[in-house]
Amino acid sequence: MDLSFSKKHYKNVSANLWLLDVLKDSVVANEIIDESHLFVKTLRPGLCVACKGARFLCGKTRCPIIVRANFYLKSIPLMQSDDIEGTSPPSIFVGRIGYPYVYAGPLVPPVKADTSFYDLPEHWFGKSIDEIVGFRSLLIRGKHRVHVERFEEAGKIIEATRELAFAVKPVDVELILKKKPRGYIILDDEVQPFGPSAPIKELKIGNVAWDNQIEKVHYDTDLKAAEAVLELYNRGVLVTKIQRAFSVGAFGLGKNRRLVPTRWSITAVDSIISKYLMDKIRFLPEMDEYRVYESQYLDNLFEIVMLPGKWSYESIEAWYPGTVWNPYGKSVIMYSDWEGYDGRSTYAQIGGCYYAARLAVCEHLVREQRQATVIVLREAHPGYIMPVGVWQVRENVRNAMRQKPYIFKTLEDMLKFLAGRFRIPIQKWLIKSVLLKNALFQKKITDFLKP
Amino acid sequence: MNGMFKFRVSNAKLLRDMVAAISILVDEATFNVTPEGLGLRAMDPSRVAMVDFEWPKTVFEDFICTEPTKMCINLGELLKLIRRTVKDEDIELSMDEKTGKLQVKITGKYVRSFTMPLLEASEEEVPTPKIPFNVRAKAATDGLQGAIEEAGLVSDHVRIEADSEKLVLQAAGDIMGATITFQKGSTVLLDLEVKEPSKATFSLNYLSEIMKAASATSDIVTLEFSTDMPIRLDFHQAIGGKLAYYLAPRIESA
Repeated sequence: MDLSFSKKHYKNVSANLWLLDVLKDSVVANEIIDESHLFVKTLRPGLCVACKGARFLCGKTRCPIIVRANFYLKSIPLMQSDDIEGTSPPSIFVGRIGYPYVYAGPLVPPVKADTSFYDLPEHWFGKSIDEIVGFRSLLIRGKHRVHVERFEEAGKIIEATRELAFAVKPVDVELILKKKPRGYIILDDEVQPFGPSAPIKELKIGNVAWDNQIEKVHYDTDLKAAEAVLELYNRGVLVTKIQRAFSVGAFGLGKNRRLVPTRWSITAVDSIISKYLMDKIRFLPEMDEYRVYESQYLDNLFEIVMLPGKWSYESIEAWYPGTVWNPYGKSVIMYSDWEGYDGRSTYAQIGGCYYAARLAVCEHLVREQRQATVIVLREAHPGYIMPVGVWQVRENVRNAMRQKPYIFKTLEDMLKFLAGRFRIPIQKWLIKSVLLKNALFQKKITDFLKP
Repeated sequence: MNGMFKFRVSNAKLLRDMVAAISILVDEATFNVTPEGLGLRAMDPSRVAMVDFEWPKTVFEDFICTEPTKMCINLGELLKLIRRTVKDEDIELSMDEKTGKLQVKITGKYVRSFTMPLLEASEEEVPTPKIPFNVRAKAATDGLQGAIEEAGLVSDHVRIEADSEKLVLQAAGDIMGATITFQKGSTVLLDLEVKEPSKATFSLNYLSEIMKAASATSDIVTLEFSTDMPIRLDFHQAIGGKLAYYLAPRIESA
C-alpha cells in the first residue's frame, strides 16, 4: 500500500478519489486540497474503495490511509512557506537513493523550543504511534545533493548539516528552501518517520555547542570508525547520537571518511557495537537455566528466549495479516535469520531489526556476565499499522531486558509457557527456529560420554 | 611448567591442511606434545562434535620433546601465518624458552620467522565416546563429500542409513528432498560391514565443514555409526597418524 499526494496529474484515477470524499468533511481540506494533489495508490483499489476507511476490510485495526491523511492535513500549514525558522533537535537525514550521489540535509520543525525529544528514540518508549508520528511529521527535511566522499568541498550547506550532527543540544536554524516543502510523511521500517521535504537554497545555523566526546573522536583521523563508535559507546553516548555523527562521516581514518545514508548508519552502529559485545560474551560463563523476557509495545509482542549454552543468536518475526509488511496476506508470514557461536559475515536477510535486537540482548548478557543461546521472537499484531523505525525493536527488546524474566528448569516447561503467550501456535515457531530445533533435537557428544 | 619442544615438517602443506581441518571445530587448541608425537582431542564450543588427532613423531622431519607438555595456540592466528606456504617449504615450530612464545619458522625460497603467544592450556582431558558401532563403511572422500554437498542443497540435516547392500543419504527439507544411494562395492563405497541395519540423522552444517576440511588430508574415510548414536569419521592418513571426528546425532522424538 502506498499513499502519495502528488502534484503530478494522474489519469484514470477517478476511482481513487474516494479519499477526497472522506476528507471533504474536514474544513481545512476543503480549502487547501486540490484534487490533482491527491492520489491513492494501493494494490487493492477495489477493497479500499468499498471500505473507504470505515469498515476495516483489510484486517487492520485502523485505516492507515486515513491515519496518514490526517497527518498530511496537519502538515499542510507547514507547506505554506519556503522559509522555515525553527529549532533542530538536532537532526539530519542522509538519503540512500542515487548513492554515491545522495541527498543530505537537516530536519527542522517550524517550532522554536527545546525540540531535543523529537530525535531521541531512546526516550520514546511508551509513546503511541500517533504521538510519535505527530511530532516527527513536523520535521521538514531540507535536501542537498552531494557525493558521499566529496562532502568537504560540497559547500556551506553540507558543512552546516554536518555541524548539526555534532551538536549536544538543539540548534536554531533558518532553512530557506528553493520551493515550498512537498511530499508526504515518510514511513520506513528502519528509519524514524519525518515530514515533507524540499531542496535547500540556504541554510543558516545558530551557535552550535559541540558534543565534547564526539568532537574528540572526530578530530582523531587515525582512529578507525568502528573504534570511534566503541569509544563513544563505552563513554555512555546514546546510540542515536553515535548514529547521527556516523552518518555525516564524523569518524574513521581521514581518507576513508564519507557520508553514510541514515538507514545504513543505524544498522552499522548496531552491528559494530553488538559485535564488540559478542567478543566479550564468548568468554563468559554459560547461563544454567531457561529464561523468557517479555515486552509489548505498539502492538509488537516480543518474547526473548535464553537457553543454556554457548552464544548463538536468532531473530524471528511473525507478521499478522493486516500488519505493515503483510498487508494483504491471508496467513501469518514469518521471517528469520540466525548465527552460530562464531557470528556471521553476511548481512542478515531480515534487515536492521536483527542487529538492533542483537545489540539489546548483548548489552544485557554483558551486564549479567553470562553467555547464552538467545532467540528473539517477535509477533507483530494488526495494531502495528505503520512502521516507525528500527528503534522500536531496539527499545522494545531493551525494555524486555529490564523486566524480571520467567525462569524454567526445562526446555519443555519453557515451551509450554511460550505457547500460552503467543497467538501463533508454538509449532509454527518451532518449525521456523533453527536454534529451538537444535535445542530440542541436536544431541551433544557429552550425552554419550559415560561419567 | 612447560617443557621444551621443537619439531619440523618438511612439507608445509601437510601442517597447513591439518591445522585447517582442526580449526573448523576449535579455535583455541590445546595439543599434547610428548616424546612420541603430537596429539589433540577437543570438542567444538557447542559440544556437538569432537576431533581426535594424532601425529606420531615419524611424520616429522625432526621431533624433539624432552618431557610431555601442552601447547595451546590460537589456530586461526597460526593459519594466517602459514596460509601462504606451499608444499616444498618447510615449517618448524618451537618454544622460545626465553619468551615462552611459540616460534614459527618457515623456510622456502626465503626464511621467515614469526612468534605468537602460547595460551593457557585447557586441563580438560576428554575421552572419546565408547559406542558399539553396527555399521562400518569405507568410502572415497571426494565422492562422499560431493554427496554431502548435494544433500545440503535441499536440507540442513541428513539421515544416514545402511543395510548389508547399500548406504543411503536421505535429506528432507521444507519443500525439497533428496535420496542418494551408494551400492556396496561401487567406486565410492569401497567396503561395507553391517552388523544390523542402522540409521541416524546429522547436521549437514557440521558434516560438510568436516568433509571439506578433512578431504584435503585424506582420500579415504571410514564411517562408523549405529542407530541414534554419534557417527565417527576416520580420515585415513597416508603419512601415518590419525584424524577422526565424532558428530552427535539429531533425534527428533516429537
